[in-house]
Amino acid sequence: MKHVILLFIVGVSIWALLPPRGGSSEVISSSVATREQGGVKYVIRVDPGPLYLPGLVPENAKAPVQGFRVVADAFEKLYPDTRIEFLGCPEGTREWLVTQLSSAQAPDIIQVNARDAWQDVRKHWYIPLDGYLDEPNPFVAKGEPGSIRWWDQFKYPVHTQSTRAPDGRIYNVSLDMIETGIYYNKTIFARYHLSPPKDWVEFLGIMRMLKAAGIPSPMLVEKRDFTDWGCDIIFDQMYGNMRPLMDLNYDPRRGEDLNGYLDWDEVTLLHRHGFFTPRDDRWRETFRILREWREFMPQDMAGTDFFKGFVTQQGAMLWASSLTLPRLVNDPHLGFEWGMFYLPSIPSSYSRFADGHPMSAVGGAANQYHVTNSSLSDTPAEMPFEQRMEKSERLKRTIAFLQFMCMPKNCNTVVNEITAFIPNIKGVDSRPELAPFDEFLTRHYSMTKWFFTFDLQFDEVLERMFDLYMNDGISLDSFLDWMQDNIDSASATMTRQHHPDFAPLEKTWESHAGMRKNYTDLPAEAR
Amino acid sequence: MSRSIPQSESRNYVPLYLILFPTFLLLAIFCLIPFIWAFVTSFYEYEVGAPAHFVGLSNYSTYLFHDHTLGESLGNMAFLTLFAVVVTVIVPLTIAKLIFSLSSPRASYVYRILFLIPILVPSVAVQLIWKDFIYSGTGLLNQFLNILHLSNLTRGWLSSPHTVLTSIAFIGFPFANGIQILIYYAGLTSISDSVHEAAFLDGATGVRKFLTIDVPLVLSQIKLLVILTLIGGIQSFESLFILTRGGPGFKSTVPGLWMYFNAFSFQKMGYACSIGVLLFLLILVLTVINLKFFRSSEDVTAASI
Repeated sequence: MKHVILLFIVGVSIWALLPPRGGSSEVISSSVATREQGGVKYVIRVDPGPLYLPGLVPENAKAPVQGFRVVADAFEKLYPDTRIEFLGCPEGTREWLVTQLSSAQAPDIIQVNARDAWQDVRKHWYIPLDGYLDEPNPFVAKGEPGSIRWWDQFKYPVHTQSTRAPDGRIYNVSLDMIETGIYYNKTIFARYHLSPPKDWVEFLGIMRMLKAAGIPSPMLVEKRDFTDWGCDIIFDQMYGNMRPLMDLNYDPRRGEDLNGYLDWDEVTLLHRHGFFTPRDDRWRETFRILREWREFMPQDMAGTDFFKGFVTQQGAMLWASSLTLPRLVNDPHLGFEWGMFYLPSIPSSYSRFADGHPMSAVGGAANQYHVTNSSLSDTPAEMPFEQRMEKSERLKRTIAFLQFMCMPKNCNTVVNEITAFIPNIKGVDSRPELAPFDEFLTRHYSMTKWFFTFDLQFDEVLERMFDLYMNDGISLDSFLDWMQDNIDSASATMTRQHHPDFAPLEKTWESHAGMRKNYTDLPAEAR
Repeated sequence: MSRSIPQSESRNYVPLYLILFPTFLLLAIFCLIPFIWAFVTSFYEYEVGAPAHFVGLSNYSTYLFHDHTLGESLGNMAFLTLFAVVVTVIVPLTIAKLIFSLSSPRASYVYRILFLIPILVPSVAVQLIWKDFIYSGTGLLNQFLNILHLSNLTRGWLSSPHTVLTSIAFIGFPFANGIQILIYYAGLTSISDSVHEAAFLDGATGVRKFLTIDVPLVLSQIKLLVILTLIGGIQSFESLFILTRGGPGFKSTVPGLWMYFNAFSFQKMGYACSIGVLLFLLILVLTVINLKFFRSSEDVTAASI
């Protein structure tokens, strides 16, 4: 009897180890999705991003969103052999992304931040879209924007261009834009006879006055946003008047608006010439200003709910993106009036490096749709990547869906269903509540995005050291030393991975020798 | 003297081996093979989806001689682990002794149950409670200080580089871990009555008896818990990931957490594996030291006979 029980346990254990019957084949068929399924030849799986997922009810909204489903239904009518499936994916979970992409199991179209994609483009996990963007969008009528080049459909191509990968290619398209701004409590401002500041000096004055008046944290901003956006805007203020000198690689594809944007190779070369080191006075000034500003933010930057702080009037100003708008617009219990302004410029009276040019925009493409290697599943994996791209019918259908999404009517259906993003397709207006962001987006783009310049390790270390510096964990000198190490290390990694040719940049640097004489504050190595 | 097992008798063990087989198979699949794979990978520069390049001991030398996080993260790990070891040895043992000393068996039973109940709360929930309700800017600790008119002492306990490590160490205060209490309690109950009587006759009572009789006789339990705490302290990083992600800066980073970031955020699999192998060696050395140089209660008993 004892043996019977023991053998039974063994049998159950072995049975438990077996895969469920038919389970694995189902997974394969739905992911490969090229098998005939009742007349359906292509099942294209789309991750529309957390706010657009059909059936999901956004915060404070009354009904679930359906925009993407409506457009997908229209596409399926046009192509009866195609079915579009939507699925939610974990946001910001790199482990998930890597496992899905490495096994070609990710959705065919996935919403992922460009910097996450950059890490993996050399592994052919994402499809470069340049070739398609240079061709007409077949759904656009003759004479309309996009009928010659798909690119022409985008209202803010400059911002899309800023998501160009280190290999120079574009791997995503965006139907929508996101921008930041300062939400301010008009009721508190009126109480102290304040109005939106005209320059940085006034801005600091307002924060000082509010703090003295007992508002615990006049300025509210998420810790990570402060690192990301803060570094970029102050950097742009400090170096903006040196843009022609620092821009070593003019990329005609980017257009004039993004002329002067610093890519990682330019930052690397400038760094070799003493920029962004402890000897660079502008660099030092950038972080001094940020540290001074931090005094008006909550003591506990990591453990504070900033939106809650704003709606409960613990703070008077909230630096946040347009994503915050629906929460404020739909909040029935808000006990105050609010308004918006953009960060004011830094005058030369405050910093000798500033020239008072308007503060730059730091937002950009919101939902960044990338086409993944799953879309090539109808071609043999051993075939060269370029050939697979050429041969895959499934990829063509996936791209067709993206192009269909970019039709003004479809973009309007999706983007304007919620009040969080600014449409990026010509011919589609923003919702009236987003009007301030429309204006903010027209500002010149930041000279670089420090969080997007190098690799993910650089970002992680930057965030950590910045946090430490902002919380008095290290001095400004130590911070700048550490930053130098971080740039050195990231430059070395990127150079090893991408093998860039620095010679043309060096040549441009040499040709700027005359220009450099006009600046007396350059680091010694750069003079 | 060993005896050979007759063939008929050895056949009786077959079902037992069969029972062990699935366990061993799972252990091999999920522990042994990954360990061997990790050891081999540690000699490569390997990123998922990209070709691997053999780099010899480069990952090890980079981590040991060029990684800025090494010193700080080892220091953090040592502090948190030693704190946990000290707490594990002192608090649950003291509580177990107090429960053991209760004259009423019913009260002893009730207290054992009461100390066990908190282990039903998932540890992630415990971490989040401490993070959001106790240590946050508007949390209990700061509110309490405000009530005491000590507002100048309030701070972001987990965001300040000066308090983050101590704050993490104190999570779980008053450190009355139910399982550890039970292990010590079991050790105390295994001490024979004759030992207690002899101690009483020799005049050893109270704290003196506890230190000179009870503690040496539960050394096996202490040793077990110290080893488990050491291994846990060196390996675990989940709570730090939840609480601070190792920040601010690297003020609460431990090598395990840095290994995780390298593997899954930066995709430096080879480098992460080299950190993992070094942690394995560290645990191995500490365990061997513990087993070799710390006496168990059996050694104490044997020595006293």
